[in-house]
Amino acid sequence: MSSTSLAVINTKAPFATSHGKDALDLALIFGSYEQQISLFFIGDGVFQLLQRCDGITLNVKDFTKTFAALSFYDIENVYVSQESLTKRSLNKSSLIDGVEVLSDDVIQQYLSQHTAALTF
Amino acid sequence: MSVYTLVVTTPPHQNNTATVIEFAESILTAGHQINGIFFYQDGVLNASTLTSIPNDEFQAPAAFVKLHNDHQVALHLCITAGEKRGLTDQDGVININPAFTVSGLGEMVELTSTADKVIQL
Repeated sequence: MSSTSLAVINTKAPFATSHGKDALDLALIFGSYEQQISLFFIGDGVFQLLQRCDGITLNVKDFTKTFAALSFYDIENVYVSQESLTKRSLNKSSLIDGVEVLSDDVIQQYLSQHTAALTF
Repeated sequence: MSVYTLVVTTPPHQNNTATVIEFAESILTAGHQINGIFFYQDGVLNASTLTSIPNDEFQAPAAFVKLHNDHQVALHLCITAGEKRGLTDQDGVININPAFTVSGLGEMVELTSTADKVIQL
């Protein structure tokens, strides 16, 4: 089985839709099959990475806690858009550990190095 | 010649789904291969036998079945996503079109790792 390097692009806030959870479920499966995978958070997707995310108050299962387990699946590449953070008055200190903040130019460059991209 | 995996995340009544069919037919006509179409999120609704689309609208579920019958394109359904949306193949109640293969995300790994291009619509 040859290898794919997959970029999963998260564009939606965490709890209004199931896109974030669906993207994470997919990422974990790819990780468990030892596929190369990177997670990108742009637009409202950056809200998924807030430290104080809590879906329970909205009666939504809080999938964001599972981000802490990404390294167990060998998913080390978690990238966040600086521009998207700035537009939402957020900065890196509001986010969970283990994410890398990049400019959109660099994100574009990184994305082009993947063989496939799926957007949620 | 390239091998494509298509990923469908939109339900039968959305126009993106009609685009999948057109795209799939075009790449087959051009001599490329499709190793499978994977249905995830609301895309799984294309497998439901209970959906009834008015006659004058595009019949996406029927078009997928035709694609499968004419070109042996495998249609893989993420059953976890399907069960959340009322699809089941349990005894007594089966509302998944038999043209679709009940699969999981592991199948998506298999498809994408043997494809040259992965296209999500």
